[in-house]
Amino acid sequence: MSAEIITTDRLSKFYGSIRGIDDVSIKVPTGGVGFLGPNGAGKTTLIRTLLGIIRPTKGSGYVLGYNIKSEINQVRDRIGYIPEFNTSFIPDMTAMKFVAFCGRMNGLANAESKQRASDSLYYVGLGEERYRKLGTFSLGMKQKVKLASALVHDPEIIIADEPTNGLDPTGRTQMLELIRNLQTDQNKHVILSSHLLRDVEQTTDYAIVFSEGEILAQGKIKDLTSGRSTSISVKVKYHQEQFIRNLKDKGFEVWDEGGFIEVKKFNDTEKAIFIAAYDSGAEIRYFGSRSSTLEDVFVDLFRNKEGIQ
Amino acid sequence: MSDKSNQNGAYVRKFSFRPYTGVRRGRIFRMWSISWQWWIHEWDRSRAIKILIGFQLFTLLITNIMVLTFKNPILSNEQILEDTLIPLVRGIVSFQTTIRGGQSNHDNGFGGGTFSIGGTSLFILLLAVLVGSGLIADDITNKTNEIYYAKLEKYEYIMGKFGAFFIFGNVIITLPYVLEFFLLYIGLGNMDFIAVLPVLAHVILFTELINLTYAAIILAFSSLTGRRLYAGLTTFMLLFLANMIIPSLAFAQGGEVGLQLLGDVLTLLLIGSYIIDGESIIRLDLLGREHTLNLANGIGIETWMIFGSLGLIISLGIAIVVFQVYRRHSM
Repeated sequence: MSAEIITTDRLSKFYGSIRGIDDVSIKVPTGGVGFLGPNGAGKTTLIRTLLGIIRPTKGSGYVLGYNIKSEINQVRDRIGYIPEFNTSFIPDMTAMKFVAFCGRMNGLANAESKQRASDSLYYVGLGEERYRKLGTFSLGMKQKVKLASALVHDPEIIIADEPTNGLDPTGRTQMLELIRNLQTDQNKHVILSSHLLRDVEQTTDYAIVFSEGEILAQGKIKDLTSGRSTSISVKVKYHQEQFIRNLKDKGFEVWDEGGFIEVKKFNDTEKAIFIAAYDSGAEIRYFGSRSSTLEDVFVDLFRNKEGIQ
Repeated sequence: MSDKSNQNGAYVRKFSFRPYTGVRRGRIFRMWSISWQWWIHEWDRSRAIKILIGFQLFTLLITNIMVLTFKNPILSNEQILEDTLIPLVRGIVSFQTTIRGGQSNHDNGFGGGTFSIGGTSLFILLLAVLVGSGLIADDITNKTNEIYYAKLEKYEYIMGKFGAFFIFGNVIITLPYVLEFFLLYIGLGNMDFIAVLPVLAHVILFTELINLTYAAIILAFSSLTGRRLYAGLTTFMLLFLANMIIPSLAFAQGGEVGLQLLGDVLTLLLIGSYIIDGESIIRLDLLGREHTLNLANGIGIETWMIFGSLGLIISLGIAIVVFQVYRRHSM
């Protein structure tokens, strides 16, 4: 298998004059990949295009080597899809029947689909509840059923569109753990589409950032976050205002974050902080550097984009 | 993870979440899965289906007993079979309009004029609307269509949904009448099967025409409205109330029957039944006013107009479903 599970070349989808995705060229590597971006950025449009739910206006795409236009049924059998909606199932059907039905739609024989539905529901932690009607399930359980229905036909790729939407912290942790386990235990490739940066950071090691239908950045998360300007967190006692003023006068970017003074890191920032503290008479009580997170990358990217516009 | 889910994980490790190595079934199996799953689901869910089937079978059994008990000795068994079964299937779409074939001047074997069970037709329509209106609308409400489209081509989804209604139609409408044919055939006895085969063909063809027409209309409204309730109400109003109101207004105002007939689906179906039977002269009794339709005299309503109108309704219904699924629901 090639190193990429999905490749697209100038893939575009327009709804009349409205842009869904525009000239999207990506190479999605094996393992876990996060699709990041605010609502309406084009993540779901790309997913739906890859699944053949909507046809692209132009461009091409391949999933595991299969063309998304001419071999879409091969693609569909190799993808397990968790839609973003909080419903997406038949409320008065039992979890077991629903998941088995999903299996049959992916070509599993009757007996096999029932056995695998049972296995999938056990895997997501709903073994005991599998004969309960879906309408009686909590939101977290429903999301797990959707995961089970995406897994039942043993796809190579799982695409989860906002899988933690509306979940409480426990449900969210469980869902992310299941998604992580799919990569580590079951050797599945997982695409996690989310506007929640922390979810992506916790479960994947590669990210593609979307904005207004275009790709803003893509790469390994550690590459995206490294090499970016980090900040130094400082806590001072006495003359805090004067300390901040001194730093700003020297051209440093300074802001308050949760009681800490954050100073954007440039050359000799540490030295400048100590000088500013000495000059202002402030006493430094805490001094530490803060490494860049995906959130910083995200904010920077969007800040730059807005600046360009 | 909770303890329970850890235990479940242990189960999976023990019994394995196995890789699937089998051969995947073909596209027809997948479409059939949609149809069959829906039917099984509705059967489990709806008590009305079970009651109606029971009612249908009971009615047919009573009919069978009455025909066999009070059969007219003047008529041949073939005639009794025909005069019982064909009005029975015509009764499925006959609420108010009485239509008799030009040459049907004998009774149905036990001296009672035209034999039709209006109550059954209303039950069948109600049930068709009750279960069929949710076929696509429920998917829109529950957003399950996204799951179908992620696994199947859209035309496969549409065919699966039509197939679902056909299973319903065949179990509720076609099968009981075919069963009735064989019950009467065996009960009356001494008949050449080939000679009565056209009656069986009529029963099957006409009930399938009803299935197709109902399916096209109900699925069109189901996809158009996106809500089970609205789809049910609009279909019911179109099929039932139009059958009552349009002819009533037309005749009250001395209007032309021909034009009104083309707007009434159930009357079109009823005339279609006579055409399948090979009758060209049809007498209509609408609200006590009798009209004669000569389907082969080159004037007025002709055979092609009836089937053309039905074809138009069916095509329009299918076109609406296709448009909705391919365009509106795929945005």
